[in-house]
Formats: sequence, structure tokens, C-alpha cells
Amino acid sequence: MALESRLLSAEWQRAVREFNGRLNAAGIAAGLRLPVEPHDPVLLPGSQVHLVIEGGAVRGGFILRPQSFFFSGVERRVTHYRLPLSEGLIDRRYAVLGPWMLRRALQIDPLLYALGMGGYDRPLPRMLAAMGWRLSSIPFYFRIVHGGSVLRGLRAVRQNPWRAALFNLAAWTGLGGTGLAAWQRFRTRRPLSEVAAKPVDDFNVWADEIWETSHRAYELTALRDAHTLRQLYPPGAARFLKLRVNSAGWAVMLDTSMRDDPYFGDLRVGTIVDSMAKPENAAAVIHAARRYLEQRGVDLIISNQAHPAWAAALKGDGFFEGPSNFLLGASKAFSEALGPKAELHLNRGDGDGPVNL
Amino acid sequence: MTESILDEVRTIAADTFGVDARTLSAHSSPEQVEAWDSVQHLNLVLALESKYGVQFEPEEMERMKDLGQIAALLGTKIS
Repeated sequence: MALESRLLSAEWQRAVREFNGRLNAAGIAAGLRLPVEPHDPVLLPGSQVHLVIEGGAVRGGFILRPQSFFFSGVERRVTHYRLPLSEGLIDRRYAVLGPWMLRRALQIDPLLYALGMGGYDRPLPRMLAAMGWRLSSIPFYFRIVHGGSVLRGLRAVRQNPWRAALFNLAAWTGLGGTGLAAWQRFRTRRPLSEVAAKPVDDFNVWADEIWETSHRAYELTALRDAHTLRQLYPPGAARFLKLRVNSAGWAVMLDTSMRDDPYFGDLRVGTIVDSMAKPENAAAVIHAARRYLEQRGVDLIISNQAHPAWAAALKGDGFFEGPSNFLLGASKAFSEALGPKAELHLNRGDGDGPVNL
Repeated sequence: MTESILDEVRTIAADTFGVDARTLSAHSSPEQVEAWDSVQHLNLVLALESKYGVQFEPEEMERMKDLGQIAALLGTKIS
């Protein structure tokens, strides 16, 4: 039977629920479901849900979100390819759907990118690599605030009983926390001066000024003017902590009390999600964001940052680099637009935003 | 569809899936071949495109239900 592509609308909601129900019944991870409502809160502004229809049944779907990106200051529209899901997950007769959806998305916009994806060994990155997309990981950085809590609670490093016992001992004696704190202090460069930073609830003219003075310094960055920031991090949305750092830049953070998380257990995790400043001001923004999260009482601070200036700012502020499964996939057309060695300013605020944190 | 095209598709599919070509037939499909998942399906499509200098559109890919259908589709594109 022929496959058709349709945008999600009220007409297809029942069929989407049935599709999700089949994934649910087969035990597919809960995060892998298609949105049922065209205005589902998980959809960022401008997102379109494309469904794959076979004779009235939904057999798959994917999300496209056109966005403005700036290539060395020049605006171009690119599209984020997100959450491709197909019946092929549970019924091998539909193995063709993954490649079908990817080719369909490329027909809609060749300037396509994917972000996150969970590691090179997952099906989507493998498919993108086969199609000649450029794949790279966006480095992951962390800084430990409460060493004892992290040693006891960070599941990602307690995967065997011996190591878990060693970390328990280090936490119990206090030696682990003290040692980690000393090590981080040793690695932290003293800032030239403390910068004035204040929490804000909204982005307005000052954010536009930062955008205007900063974005041309990057070979690639997504639009981050005040209007866009209000869409991504709406005023009144308490989840997003916004910090204005003088007139130099800003950061958006999360302070999340994890519950039974496979990586972070029950730790309180601070995330520097998003940020903008001129590259030379990145250190001031990172320092202010780190201090702010520490004062709130988080156990651990994490961030993914692609650009060398932001990476240097994190390392200079005592952050360690860890393994990253946060990947950027750039289609052939996107890669050609970037050039071979472009330095990109991308972070957890890009793509579908900090949905998993 | 000529037998030679089917034979070549079987050979390329066997290389792609890492199986013995003698175990594959025109009726071989993702349901029967353990290694034939969505990633390997794409690899098969790309291998055929590369060898024959063709490009399959999504509308054509949906007809690729088994090796026989793939060979038939390929035959129409290169004839």
C-alpha cells in the first residue's frame, strides 16, 4: 500500500494515538512517542509534525522545525530534524520507513540538522553517517559542587560494585569530596574581576543588543534575539533560570532535582543550557552562571558547548570534560554551507532544547 | 526483471547484511533476514545507488518490500 506524508491535524489524532499505543504495547521507551496535539507543549514554536500514513493508519512520523541560523552573520533558514519514529521499531516489515522519512525530510529542506541522538551507535546517527552527513559530538563538561553527594549518587560512574564501594568509602571519609574540591580549585583560573550578574525573568532590548554585538563573531549560531529567547524560555517559566551578566552576555540554566535518573540518580543537577556573548566574554558568563548555580545549592553543574571559546571558559572555570553522547548531524548541504572547519556556537539550547534535563 | 539483476541485488544485499548470498532469494524481506533493519535497508539502497548511478525517491523506496521488488524497481531505473 502507498505511503503518504501528511501534517498532524485533528483528523489524524486518533491514528497517532493508535500508533503510540502500539509502541507502548511493545515496550518502546516512553520518550519515543509522536505528539498527538499540533500545539503539544513539547513542540517548540514553528514545529511541524509530519506523519507517514498507510491506508488511514499512522506508520511513523517526524518533526521538522525551520529556524534562522547565522553563518558568519548571514542569515539562512535551516531545519531541525527531530524524533523520527516508525512502525519499523516493532514490525520489521516497516524497515523501509526510517530511510523513507529521512529522504522525505531532505526533499522538504536539504539544509537539515539533527542534534542529541544519544550516541554514535544509535540507529539515527548510523543512518545519517551512511547518508554522508557530518557527525560530531558537542563536548560535555561538568564541575562537582558537593563531592560527597556526587560520589554517592552519580550512577554514571558507579556501574560496578567495586567502584561503587570505593566511591562510598571516599565519600564517607570525606577524602573524596576534599580531594575533588582541591583539584577543581587548582584548575580554576581566578577571574580578572567579579562581574555584575543578576537574575532576570525576561529578555528584552538588552538581549537584542547582546545579540547584535555578538553573533557575527561566530561562524554558526542559531538566532538568539529577545523575541526568539522569549519563545524558548518564556517569561514566568520558573524552570528556566535566566542570568544577565552585565552588558556582556547572558546564560539560561536549569536547577533540576533528579529522581532515579539513569545517569544522575537523585542528584540535584545544575545545567548551563544556553548562553550568548562575544567569545572574549564567554569566561565572564560561565563564571557568573557557575557561581549562581553553586549558591542555589546544586550538587553538580553540567554543560555542553561546541565553540572553543566557551569550552575554554568552562575549563578555565574548573570544569572537567567528560564523554559526550550529544551529537550534531549536519546534512551534506548543511556541511557544505559550513565549510570544513567551522567553529560553531551550539549548546543544549539548540535543537529541541533541554527536554531531557 | 532479469535474473542477472536479481543476482547482483542478492550479492550486494548479502554483503550489506553480512549473510551468505545463497540464503537470499527474491522473496527475502526484512521479516526473514535478521540483519535487515532500517539502517541496513538504507545501506542496501545506498550501495545500489552507488553501483548503478541511480537515486531512489521516497515514493520508490516504499515499494522495496523484498529483494525481488528491489530488483524489479532497479531494472526499471537502469533500463
